[in-house]
Amino acid sequence: MTLTTSLRDRLAAVVGPEHVRDDPGTLEAYARDATPLHRGAADAVCFPADTAQVQRVVKIARAERIPLVVRGAGTNLCGATVPQLGGIVLVMTRMARLIELDPGNMSAVVQPGMVTATLAEEAAAHGLLYPPDPGSRTTSTIGGNVGTCAGGLRGLKYGVTRDYVLGCEAVLGTGEVLRYGGKVVKNVAGFDLARLLCGSEGTLAILTELTLRLVPAPLASGVGLAYFSRLKEAGAAVSRVLASGILPATLEFLDSTCLRTVEEFAGIGLRADAGALLVFGQDGTPEVVAADLERIAVACRAEGAIEARVARDETEATALLEARRAALPSLSRLAPLTILEDATVPRSRLAEMVERIEEIAVRHGLLIGTFGHAGDGNLHPTCVVDPAHPGVVERVETAFSEIFDAALELGGTITGEHGVGLAKRAHLESQLGRAQIELLRRIKLAFDPDGILNPGKLAS
Amino acid sequence: MSERSIFEPELLDRCISCGFCLPACPTYGLTGVEASSPRGRINLMRALQEGTLPDDDPTALEESSFCLGCRACEPVCPAGVRYGELLETWRDHSWKGRRRSPMLRLLLWSTAQTWRVRLMGLRRHARRRLGTGPSLMLGCFERALFPSVSRAAAALVPGASISSHQGCCGALHAHNGERERGRRLAVQLGYDLPGTILTTSGGCAAHLGSVLGGDRVFELSEWLGEHPPAVTPSRPRLRVAVQDSCHLRNGMGIWREARTLLAEVAEVVELPSASACCGAAGTYALLRPRDSRRILDAKLDEIRAADVDYVVTLNPGCLRQLQSGLRRRRLRTRAIHLAEVLS
Repeated sequence: MTLTTSLRDRLAAVVGPEHVRDDPGTLEAYARDATPLHRGAADAVCFPADTAQVQRVVKIARAERIPLVVRGAGTNLCGATVPQLGGIVLVMTRMARLIELDPGNMSAVVQPGMVTATLAEEAAAHGLLYPPDPGSRTTSTIGGNVGTCAGGLRGLKYGVTRDYVLGCEAVLGTGEVLRYGGKVVKNVAGFDLARLLCGSEGTLAILTELTLRLVPAPLASGVGLAYFSRLKEAGAAVSRVLASGILPATLEFLDSTCLRTVEEFAGIGLRADAGALLVFGQDGTPEVVAADLERIAVACRAEGAIEARVARDETEATALLEARRAALPSLSRLAPLTILEDATVPRSRLAEMVERIEEIAVRHGLLIGTFGHAGDGNLHPTCVVDPAHPGVVERVETAFSEIFDAALELGGTITGEHGVGLAKRAHLESQLGRAQIELLRRIKLAFDPDGILNPGKLAS
Repeated sequence: MSERSIFEPELLDRCISCGFCLPACPTYGLTGVEASSPRGRINLMRALQEGTLPDDDPTALEESSFCLGCRACEPVCPAGVRYGELLETWRDHSWKGRRRSPMLRLLLWSTAQTWRVRLMGLRRHARRRLGTGPSLMLGCFERALFPSVSRAAAALVPGASISSHQGCCGALHAHNGERERGRRLAVQLGYDLPGTILTTSGGCAAHLGSVLGGDRVFELSEWLGEHPPAVTPSRPRLRVAVQDSCHLRNGMGIWREARTLLAEVAEVVELPSASACCGAAGTYALLRPRDSRRILDAKLDEIRAADVDYVVTLNPGCLRQLQSGLRRRRLRTRAIHLAEVLS
C-alpha cells in the first residue's frame, strides 16, 4: 500500500504539511519500537496537535480503510506500536500538555503525550506522588502507559497504571469522541470504560486526555538488602514479610545469573556467589520506614538469609537500586540479541517459577537470567543469544512458549505489565480461551467497527 | 538487498532500542521526530547497513548532519552504546566528496597541515618555553581567536612546555567524515609534543585521548584538579555558571573538577542545562547556524534568568558560541574560559 498524493494532502490539511512525514528515512525510524524481532513499514507518520485533529485523521483512515497505529515514545516491549500492516502511525508527542493539576482533588488532567517522569515531577512540586514508575518513565508517555497498563517497581504497595486512571477522553474508531469519568474517586455510572481502555493497546480508541489520581507523597523512604544461597529461600522470605503485616514499597529480586552478570559489568560490590538478592524498600514517615526495614531484615534472616540488613547510607541505597536497574543492560551486553519477557505468577509460586525457567533454559541450552518484582510475582526472564547462530531464535521461541505454559500452570499470566501486542498474540488464546477471545473481538467491533485501530494486535 | 559492512555489527547490536536516549537528545527535543533521536539514527544506520536505505537517502544524510554529535545519549544509555564512534563512522561513510559543503572543506583543509595551523597563530603567537611539566597544546582556531586562553593556562601551569611547532589534533576531521586523517593528525601531534599533553579544549582532549591514550592527554580542569593552582578569591565575589564541554562530560566523564576549582574563587550557580550542548558542537555553529542558534536560545534564557557575571566554558568552540549569543541578546553576562577566570 502506498500513500496516494490525495491522502497525503488530506492528512496535511488536517495537521499541517510539516506534521506529516512519508520519506523512507522517517518511515524507517517508525518501523519499530523497543521490541526486538518485530518490524513493520508505515505509509505515513502523522503528529496531531489536538483532539479535533485526531478525530479528523480517524475519519480519513476510516474512509480509506487503512490502519491507524497510535504511538507515544515507542518504549513498549510487545510490539504494540509496530505498523506491521502499514498505514498511518499517529504520534501523540505534540499533545504533551499538563492541562490541570488539582491538589485539592489530588488529581491531574494531562494530554497523552506527556512524559511520565514530567508528570511525576509536577506532582512532586505539590507534595503529591504519581506512583506508577515503569522502567522507561523518563522517556515513556502517559498515553502509552495507559495504553499498555504499565506497571513498575511500586506495584505491590501502590498498584499499577489502571489504579490511577479516573477518567479519559478518547476518539473511537468511528470518529466519535468519548468522555468518561473525571475527578471523582467513586463513579459507578455505567461500565468502567477507563479500565477497559487501560491496556487496550490502541485497539479500541485513541486516548486524547487523561484524568489521573495522585496520592500524598511519602515523607521518607529507605532500602535494604538480603542475600540468600537459594532463590527458594528468598521466595519464602517474601511470603514471611507479607504475612507479618508489612506492605513494602519495593521488593525486587535478582537470580544468581543476574547477580554474577551485574557484578562483572558494574562492579558495585555485590556478592556474586549468592543464589539470589532481594532488594526491599519502604516509604512513609521516617519512624515507619526505619522500623519496617528492620522487620523485613529480621524476616529474611528467619528464612536463612546469608546477609540481611538496611542500607548503610544513601550511597549504598542508590547502588542497590542501581544494581536492580542494571540487570537488563548488563545481561544485554553478553550477546547481540536480548529478549525480555514478563511472565507473572502468584507471588507464593515465585521460586517455583524461577526453578522452572532455569530448567527450561538448561534443556534448550540457553542463557536466561531472571530478575523482577518479587512482591507481585512479576518475573523478567531475559534471554541473551547471538541470532547469527542457525536455529537459535526458534529455540528461544520454543523456550519462552514453555515458560508461558509454566506460568499458566502455576495460576499466572503470560504478561504482567508489558502487554500482548504482536509479540504474545499467538499465546493469548491459551490463557483466555476461545470464548473470551471472541468476546474481546465483539467489544473491539463496538468501538472500531471497521477494524482500523491497530489491527492485528492483542485480540484483533 | 544485502548486508554491508559500514559499521561494526557489535556497535549497532548493542542498542536495545529502549529509547532512554530520547529525552537527552537536543535535536529530538527540537523536532520530536524519532529520526532526529539517537535511537532513530541508529535505525537509519542499520537500514544503511542492511541496504534497505540507499547511501544518498536524503533523510539519512540530513540526520547525519543535524546530529550535534554532543554524545549526551551516551551517559544515559543503559546498554553502553558508543554512539560517538557510530556517528564518526556514519559521516566517514556518507560524507564523501561533494556532499561536504565548501565551508566544511575549507575548515578541514586549513587545519590539515601544521604550517597552515601555525599561520593562524602568527599574528599573536605564543612565547616558546621549555619546561619540565606537560606540553601545552595551542589548538588550531583557538590560536587565532583566543590566544589569551593559552597564555592564561601557561600561567596556571608554571612548568608547562610551549612549542609553536604543533598542528591540529584532528578532532575536527574525525567528527566530520575524515576519521583516518583525524587519527593521523592526532598521532602526528603526539609525536610533535612528546610526553603529557595538556589542552584547554574538552573536544580536543576527548579525541586526542581516544587515539593517544587517556594517560597521556589531560584537559585543563582535569589537570588542575590534580595539581591545584594558587588562586585568589575574586572581590567582590563573582557569580559564575559553568557550561560543560560535551565531549569532556559525556565522553570522558569530567565535569566536577571545573566546579570545584571555581568554587575557590567565585560563587558557582548551576544552570539547569549546564550539561546540555550549547549548539557550538565543533563546526556545527558554522555549518548549521540556524539550528545552532535554536539550540542556544533556551540556554540564553536560563543565563538571563540566572543573571551571572560570567559563563565559564572549557572549550574554545563553546566560548565563541556563547560570546556571540550573549552579544546578540545584549546581556550583561560575559563568556570566559576557565583558564582566564582562575589566572
